[in-house]
Amino acid sequence: MTWWLLTFSRGGPASYLSHLDTARAVQRTFARAGVPISLSQGMRPKPRVSLPLPLPVGAAGREELAVVEVPDDLPGAATALRDLRAAAPPGLTPLAIVVVGEQHPRPQAVEASYACVLDGDAGTLEAAVERYGTEESVVRERVSPKGRRTLDLKKYVVHAAAEPAPGGTRLSFAIRHRDDGAARPQEFIDLIATWAGVEPVMRCLERRRVTWKGMPPGRGPGAGRSESP
Amino acid sequence: MNTSAPGSLDSCRDDWFPDEVARLLARVTRPGRYTGGEFNLRLKPGASPRIVLSYPDVYEIGISNPALQILYAHLNDATPAAAERAYCPWPDMAALMRAHDVPLWTLETMEPVAGCDLWGFTLPHELTYTNVLEMLDLAGVPLHAAERGEGDPVVLGGGPAVADPWPLAPFFDAFFIGEVEHRLDEIVEALAAPSRALRLQALAAVPGMWLPGVSERPAQRQVFTAFSSTPPVLRPVVPVLEAVHDRAIVEVMRGCTAGCRFCQAGMWYRPVRERPVDLVVDAAEQLLSETGCDEVSLLSLSSCDYSGVEEALKRIRDLRPGVRVSLPSLRIDSAAESLGRFAADQRGSVTLAPEAGTQELRDAINKGVDDVQFEEAVRATFGGGFTGLKLYFMIGLPGETDADVVGIAHMAATAARLAKEIARGRARLSVAVSSYVPKAHTPFQLEPFAGAALLRRRQQLLRDAMPRHVRVTFHDVAASLVEATLARGGPGSDRLVEEAWRRGARFDGWSEHFRFPLWEAAAAATGIELGAADLHGDTAVPWESAVAPGVTGAFLADERERAARGALTDDCRDGSCTVCGVCGGGVEMDVLP
Repeated sequence: MTWWLLTFSRGGPASYLSHLDTARAVQRTFARAGVPISLSQGMRPKPRVSLPLPLPVGAAGREELAVVEVPDDLPGAATALRDLRAAAPPGLTPLAIVVVGEQHPRPQAVEASYACVLDGDAGTLEAAVERYGTEESVVRERVSPKGRRTLDLKKYVVHAAAEPAPGGTRLSFAIRHRDDGAARPQEFIDLIATWAGVEPVMRCLERRRVTWKGMPPGRGPGAGRSESP
Repeated sequence: MNTSAPGSLDSCRDDWFPDEVARLLARVTRPGRYTGGEFNLRLKPGASPRIVLSYPDVYEIGISNPALQILYAHLNDATPAAAERAYCPWPDMAALMRAHDVPLWTLETMEPVAGCDLWGFTLPHELTYTNVLEMLDLAGVPLHAAERGEGDPVVLGGGPAVADPWPLAPFFDAFFIGEVEHRLDEIVEALAAPSRALRLQALAAVPGMWLPGVSERPAQRQVFTAFSSTPPVLRPVVPVLEAVHDRAIVEVMRGCTAGCRFCQAGMWYRPVRERPVDLVVDAAEQLLSETGCDEVSLLSLSSCDYSGVEEALKRIRDLRPGVRVSLPSLRIDSAAESLGRFAADQRGSVTLAPEAGTQELRDAINKGVDDVQFEEAVRATFGGGFTGLKLYFMIGLPGETDADVVGIAHMAATAARLAKEIARGRARLSVAVSSYVPKAHTPFQLEPFAGAALLRRRQQLLRDAMPRHVRVTFHDVAASLVEATLARGGPGSDRLVEEAWRRGARFDGWSEHFRFPLWEAAAAATGIELGAADLHGDTAVPWESAVAPGVTGAFLADERERAARGALTDDCRDGSCTVCGVCGGGVEMDVLP
């Protein structure tokens, strides 16, 4: 059994896909490229593709990760990468494939950095970010179909900064992924927008970098036995 | 549209979308409905004329429509035109577009729809009509053709609902009646004329075109006679967002001559034309590669009647083991045999449509299915390992009695008994009952709509008679009432559509959005009686002044008379010509040897 760690960027129209739609787009790209994906067992076999770190709807991503199981006898990943690029939809670009064995641990996200643009005066937003830096804790309630839970954003959101940008103010921050979960980008953006008194509608939300535990050594996600055309 | 490389960091700056659009996308449900970016999208920068194609429903429905795919592929790949698409924005997006004054845009270029040369709508059914007005309004295109000027697009309607174009007549510059594939080049050429008036004049000369207030004769429904020798769409747009249908489609046959007297499509798409098996198999192979789908659907009005179905199925399975081949419809009289063929490809459930509950009524509608065939089909369903069976019926058919309605419950009881015997409690059985709406250009076009009171009484009668463990669902009578009004509306019926839209009617085909009080108020304001057809005696009907459907009035009258005495009419594929009037003048049945 062979696993491919496929890094890809998501931008433009693909930014507005849900997590499941993105996974389906990756799977369909493989099918169009003629690159087979191993199927799960059972009555209704499913292609074995997973995207370990969901990207919010509306967000672009520079280096997203898909974990794909492929048959062992598949020829070179470099050829496959070229075919995948040709078969991908606009906005989804395969970047590199790292080939790992069955025993390799699945990569886990440790920290992800984000940036977005908010309407509003940079000074006001900078003040809100400064306030965040001085607070001991910022507890927020999250309501989901699973129920209600409270989380302290201070445990998760770090490296926050605001700076003037064309058309507004760029807010950047990083989210730590802990054993007990992670904050969502929108939760922090909503907080800062509320404190700054601006509408929490962001543009150009982008996940710029993800630090992974369990990624093969080398230079970032394109490392290990990476193959590029 | 930006020209940066897809997925490049430039795209993270949102320069794919104008800033005002990006702001709206951040605030709506399922923003992917409005962003394009599908597989096989066509971009033709600078091409002329610019044509926008629309399906008046939400993206997930519209992207699954095969007709729009045919037009999109042909216009982009075989003419100088650039074809783009726009679907009806969901109410949350429509509200934001109005609040922020952002006009409707296309998925290809993000440019406003209003700037195109021609805006073509495919009109699937009457409950999408208010969405047409909604889209025109959101685009900033004047609602009425008479108010449009030099800079406005020509608005053209087509599709099955134009069998009676009157309820939408003032909102369209022109309607194309019938199958348009072979007329697209002429339409594109007509758009080269230097003024709007000359473009309309040139369009009026295209066979099949009917211009409200201009055309002096009904338009002859067009038949694509080269269907059999023309490949289907081989590179369709494949949605990335989840759509209602997720499969490759090969249209194997067009038209149906089974002759069901209630069925508008059966009268409208005559004659039968079949594609050669080689063409079907090659298309399936290419489509599976182009789409990445793991299922291919052999599409037609009655795919089991496609002469090459068995060979096509075998060859596709041999070429692509593991790919599922599905048929969208099964006829009960051949279902037992068909289910045997397709058992390996089907999963889950089967839908069978006896349509009526007694033999007498089934004969009257020319369904030609008997109780023995029905039992065989049910046995084949559960015996073949399928775990679900859905039975589809209509109530309110002409000549129907309470006994016919109770007969539906008897058939459901039979199916339930067989399910218990064969599937031993593992089977799901459900019954769906819709209200019959008489349609233009069918043998029942002059029959009255059953009416809300009678339909509701018969729904209750059926509920009471139905076995308790069988799940039965009914179509909303109020929605059928609106549909019945618009399906046979005459000049002036457009006032009802416009009034309902102005009062807030949208997405009337969606139960969660359909608001009958708006239609009642619109009917009261316009003086139009809901459910009543605009008939003028027993011969002259308003839609005949706009559309010459091919089937003759004499044939329809004869079929109506035969229905009254329960006489069956054979399928002309199997026997003698029924003299429906369609064939002749280069239009002929074209079936495989």
